[in-house]
Amino acid sequence: MKMLKVKSLFVNYGAVEALKNISLHIKEKEFVALIGSNGAGKTSLLNAIMGIVKPKDGEVIFNDKNITGFPPERKVKEKIALVLEGRRVFANMTVLENIEVGAFTSDNKNFIKRLKFIYDIFPVLKERSWQPAGMLSGGEQQMLAIARALISEPKLLLMDEPSMGLAPLVIKDVYEKLLILKETGLTIFLVEQNAAAALKYADRGYVLENGKIVLQGKSKELLEDNEIKRAYLGKEYKEKWER
Amino acid sequence: MQFFYSGITSGSIYALVAIGFNIIYNTTGIINFAQGEFVMLGGMFIYSMLYMMNIPFVLAFPVALFGAFVLGVIFERVFIRYVKVKSELNLITITIAGSIILRGLAMVIWGRDTLLVESFVPSKAINVYKGTITTDSLVVIGISLVISFLLTFFFKKTKYGKAFRACYEDKIAASVCGINVKAVVMFSFGIAAFLGAIAGVVVSPITYVTYSDGIMTGLKGFSAAVMGGLGSFWGGIFGGILLGVSESFFASVFPSGYKDAMAFLIILFILFFRPQGLFGRKKATRV
Ligand SMILES: Nc1ncnc2c1ncn2[C@@H]1O[C@H](COP(=O)(O)OP(=O)(O)O)[C@@H](O)[C@H]1O
Ligand SMILES: [Mg+2]
Repeated sequence: MKMLKVKSLFVNYGAVEALKNISLHIKEKEFVALIGSNGAGKTSLLNAIMGIVKPKDGEVIFNDKNITGFPPERKVKEKIALVLEGRRVFANMTVLENIEVGAFTSDNKNFIKRLKFIYDIFPVLKERSWQPAGMLSGGEQQMLAIARALISEPKLLLMDEPSMGLAPLVIKDVYEKLLILKETGLTIFLVEQNAAAALKYADRGYVLENGKIVLQGKSKELLEDNEIKRAYLGKEYKEKWER
Repeated sequence: MQFFYSGITSGSIYALVAIGFNIIYNTTGIINFAQGEFVMLGGMFIYSMLYMMNIPFVLAFPVALFGAFVLGVIFERVFIRYVKVKSELNLITITIAGSIILRGLAMVIWGRDTLLVESFVPSKAINVYKGTITTDSLVVIGISLVISFLLTFFFKKTKYGKAFRACYEDKIAASVCGINVKAVVMFSFGIAAFLGAIAGVVVSPITYVTYSDGIMTGLKGFSAAVMGGLGSFWGGIFGGILLGVSESFFASVFPSGYKDAMAFLIILFILFFRPQGLFGRKKATRV
């Protein structure tokens, strides 16, 4: 079943056309990555889906419900969560307070159960629960940002460049957590510049260039695509011919 | 020591006004120059209810505060929310316009005369270490203390208080946590007005109420907020007390007519030498 459908989405900032006629879909329990270089429009897409920016045209359909105009706080109630680019944890609040704020729309009954689930996946957050989030390392902040999104019990998790600014080993760590979450039935849609990492873990991928989707397919196929190898994986044609 | 006791009394008022400034500064990044008018309105409300409607104080007090809260919310809805270009300069200008309107309305409604408010508690001077303190002052100090602790509790322990702090730190991150940021901004105006009105009510038996009181109270509270570091909650309280005490020390040495100049000397001094305030820290920013 198609959980999320984006239909002919356009986003403008004044005269800048950031997204031009974007259509895509995410099926339930899928892990989908959209890759694109800096300025391609990845953040604009997630922000438009979440309601942080208003699309100029087009529709966002979630579980057959048209949620296009909904502000972010209503998207959360519809069970969509977004991990923002750059993590944006509340630096002066403790780790636990960050998670509590993430639970703003949820009822208190499930909080303890949910928190335990999150601490089981991210034990480091449990150890640091009384520290200000600003004191965490980049990787830990990314885990916290994910935890803050998860506590609202989303059906669909959107992520904006989870690997940004992280060391390769930490990136691996973050993506492996995402696979664990996928196992629990979560649907994941993330956007990345780091195509190698994203496509290694995702089931399916889209490629965004200058606000347009230029390619889509299974992650394995995309990883084999010459154009992608050249543009996103830093491998030259030459290298390929030499083999 | 006497200057110290009267300083703490006026300082408590400045502290409440400074917290009002800080709450709005934290959610909107602007200085609400109408903050002082809410102090004046608190006094006017309590005067009207006590002497024009003969409502007993125990009822009049909460009603005055609630009225101010509602007025603060309306103020945000009317003056702030629909501003097209929300630059800080535009918004600040609008709060100044709002303050002029509120003051003008107060003059029309309550007139230009100073209105007398009697003490809420039996008025008595109590001997304390090397000086006296009046029961009226004790009410002011006590209520300010209680309010400070209640607010701390609200911000540290309650779900909504944490949502406010999340908005202070990052509005977009707060909104994706499911918080209605517009509502938080609206409520922060309500709470700021509420705090202003508390100050206005408790100080009314000491200073009485005049429609034009808001300007000076607002500026003093602003000085206190700047002194403590804009946006810092306890900074505002310390700033208020410090300002009150230094002002009253100043008045015990120089002719008291110059007392008000003290606040502005302090502002200039702080802005020159320590713009982040005595207790302020720079807002944590990351890219
Ligand atoms: N708030 C904004 N105002 C104006 N232009 C913007 C804004 N945000 C993004 N853009 C522009 O839109 C395009 C897409 O940006 P963005 O969605 O951030 O790309 P990405 O996340 O892929 O790096 C870029 O050309 C960028 O300069
Ligand atoms: Mg981006």
